[in-house]
Amino acid sequence: MGLVSRGMAAAGLGTAPAVVRPGPPDAVPNPTPNPPPEGAAPGSSRVPSMVLKAFFPTCCASADSGLLVGRWVPEQSSAVVLAVVHFPFIPIQVKELLAQVQQASRIGLAVLGTWCHHRQEPEESLGHFLEGLGTIFSHEPWLQLCRERGSKFWSCKATHWQVPISPGAPGEDQVMLIFYDQRKVLLSQLHPPAALPDHQAGDATASAGGLAAVFDTVARSEALFRSDRFDEGLVRLSHWQSEGVEASILVELAKRASGPVCLLLAYLLSLISAASTCWVFKLWPLSFIWSKLSTCEQLRHRLEQLTFIFSTQKAENTSQLMRKANMLVSVLLDVALGFALLSWLHGKDRIGQLADALVPVADRVAEELQHLLQWLMGAPAGLKMNRALDQVLGRFFLYHIHLWISYIHLMSPFIERILWHMGLSACLGLTVALSILSDIIALLTFHIYCFYVYGARLYCLKICGLSSLWRLFRGKKWNVLRQRVDSCSYDLDQLFIGTLLFTVLVFLLPTTALYYLVFTLLRLLVVTVQGLIHLLVDLINSLPLYALGLRLCRPYRLSAGVKFQVLEHEAGRPLRLLMQINPLPYNRVVHTYRLPSCGCHPKHSWSSLCRKLFFGELIYPWRQRGDKQD
Amino acid sequence: MCAQPVTDTPETRWQKVLYERQPFPDNYVDQRFLEELRKNIHARKYQYWAVVFESSVVIQQLCSVCVFGVIWWYMDQGLLAPHWLFGTGLALSLIGYVLFDLLDGGEGRRKSGRTRWADLKSALVFITFTYGFSPVLKTLTESVSTDTIYAMSVFMLLGHLIFFDYGANAAIVSSALSLNMAIFASVCLASRLPRSLHAFIMVTFAIQMFALWPMLQKKLKACTPRSYVGVTLLFACSALGGLLSISVVGATLFALLLVSISCLCPFYLIRLQLLKENIHGPWDEAEIKEDLSRFLS
Repeated sequence: MGLVSRGMAAAGLGTAPAVVRPGPPDAVPNPTPNPPPEGAAPGSSRVPSMVLKAFFPTCCASADSGLLVGRWVPEQSSAVVLAVVHFPFIPIQVKELLAQVQQASRIGLAVLGTWCHHRQEPEESLGHFLEGLGTIFSHEPWLQLCRERGSKFWSCKATHWQVPISPGAPGEDQVMLIFYDQRKVLLSQLHPPAALPDHQAGDATASAGGLAAVFDTVARSEALFRSDRFDEGLVRLSHWQSEGVEASILVELAKRASGPVCLLLAYLLSLISAASTCWVFKLWPLSFIWSKLSTCEQLRHRLEQLTFIFSTQKAENTSQLMRKANMLVSVLLDVALGFALLSWLHGKDRIGQLADALVPVADRVAEELQHLLQWLMGAPAGLKMNRALDQVLGRFFLYHIHLWISYIHLMSPFIERILWHMGLSACLGLTVALSILSDIIALLTFHIYCFYVYGARLYCLKICGLSSLWRLFRGKKWNVLRQRVDSCSYDLDQLFIGTLLFTVLVFLLPTTALYYLVFTLLRLLVVTVQGLIHLLVDLINSLPLYALGLRLCRPYRLSAGVKFQVLEHEAGRPLRLLMQINPLPYNRVVHTYRLPSCGCHPKHSWSSLCRKLFFGELIYPWRQRGDKQD
Repeated sequence: MCAQPVTDTPETRWQKVLYERQPFPDNYVDQRFLEELRKNIHARKYQYWAVVFESSVVIQQLCSVCVFGVIWWYMDQGLLAPHWLFGTGLALSLIGYVLFDLLDGGEGRRKSGRTRWADLKSALVFITFTYGFSPVLKTLTESVSTDTIYAMSVFMLLGHLIFFDYGANAAIVSSALSLNMAIFASVCLASRLPRSLHAFIMVTFAIQMFALWPMLQKKLKACTPRSYVGVTLLFACSALGGLLSISVVGATLFALLLVSISCLCPFYLIRLQLLKENIHGPWDEAEIKEDLSRFLS
């Protein structure tokens, strides 16, 4: 498997408990199969092709002598010890137990060797007895793990019975003893490295595969760990056990209740979604409005999420489970924040204050706009505008503002009640409240939107007209079939009218362009505010809060790889390492578990935005049907 | 397998071929090469008066611009009533229209297949659009300073003179661009006039001057060269007279310009022809015969 890097081996020679950290990309160390540490095989004439690696759970270190049960991974030449079977046992029963677990977990379990823990003086008879066991449970190679008195000395032998490589004594491999925390490895989820640079990639995938095999073995043989210490089974096992089940009566109740609750909620949600797909809502103006209101988009998004969470199907794999959990936490947090907002809004008559403030603010905005228009109708910034067109446009817009103010005043008695009802919607979540706020802003700045559209249309008309008339002015035309400019012979009257229009448009362009510029800036301001609100909503929607919390409280649950700590490195003794789990960095957590956001907002690149602005194309805060998905 | 090298005998004569192996370098030539040299094969011998006659097209166009400027000045000063100009212009246009058909006995009309109804329609379009736009034209450049307008008009009229189709076969010639520039200049100048009627009549006059008058000229020159010379002289004299009434210095300079173009330039052209050294010989020469204008656009 080659988990131990060369650098690590070198570092291990110096001080014994040195934490070896792998290279920056991730925690999987340099995976080249390393030569055995020099001290490990003094005087050995042959160098084994691969060091045998024995993964041994730390919780079994203090167990009584017995048999090692686990899985042999021949590709990596590593033995993953899962449990220790204690004396006394009946071999047939051990084999039966293994067969049962094998059926449940679908991995090949076997008796790998013997475990001998000398508490007192070494007993010669036990040693012989243990050796004799190798004939009952034949396994290749046969591990013999021994712990001397205290925790100081360990010895480990791997014996090949059948094919001794050199004639004579049975062949013995170099053994490296790697301790691992069974609980953490069982619970953690390994994230293979995303991408590694150049030459390391091939080896890294192999080594990551080996590591994944270890993790997978431990995770799958969960059935083996079900029996706890107090079970009086036929076979006594020693392995990691949960601390107890005293507090889990509530958990059990929740587990029992979750099924029917999910069923009920799923039924309700299906009713709601059925109602929302009713044909009445699909009539033309309504469907158009629904698609433009961000509140509807947000509600639809939440409905989809809830349907997914409460679907009665069991999550197929861990990633789907994590997704469900992330969604649930996101929805819960959203609703909690929404309730906080609700309590804040409905306490101390804040709705009334807000409503009272809203109308003067709208008035004020309209007044400022009027001032702006009057400034534009004069000689703004000393620019030479066409007076007649300037007056016409200015009066048109002034009349529009007048209409707007009367509309606001007509609405003012109802605003408080509307706001009160809208405030109630905060109990659906903060994101819904924010979306409603965004929609309210859009509705209150409708006049700015109108100005922008008029300005942009006029400007676009002029730019298009000027570009084609400029070609006519030069005696050219745009060839649609060949997509190029060709020369063309025009009639006299065509030339005359074209040039007349060209002259008129050239002299009127600055006026239109100025109006367009001013209203575009106003519009961009509004769009920016809306964009910020949408950004916040997207953040709440897509942040994987459950995964982040897991990373914060249980770092081992999401692992990016492992690192090794050298416990003992002495001549004549097996190298002992402690495997520790490297937690996944936060940015990768966010990247891996990000929830899909609402996806109704357009993503312009800056150049396309500038191009659109220059040619007077309309900019919408929502996604157009024809837009390309970036 | 290997070709035998040609024996180097004194009798071996150099041949202007590359398919035979010769004992000379590739760029070798002998004395006979320059015997075939010819000079000025295609050079044309110009007759002085013929060149003067041809230069009258330029004179005509210069005079057109001058007359347009003079008329505009009169209108701007209020010395010329717009009705009078309109009436005169209309009468002259009608006469010109009749002449246009009479000169070649209606042959050009038959060739182009253009009906009188189409002419009437064009005229209606001109009149209607100009009249409809004249109030817009009046206020179009109000806020732009007069100097800018003058500068623009001068540049546009210069462009009109540069790009005008004088009958030369050159890439720079573009009658559409030339006409458009003249119309642009006339619209700019018309917008400076005191009333919208003035603007309307000024633009109409510009059309007659820059679009219709050159068409009639071309036909006159083709059919009756004698009368064309007379008309040119008359036109030049009237332009000079008009300019004289405004500024003596301007008239003198303009007269000098006309004389230099019609008399000095042809003389200089013929003198320069004597210095022409265009060699032709037995070498391959790249001769560009086609019109390049389609590659240049």
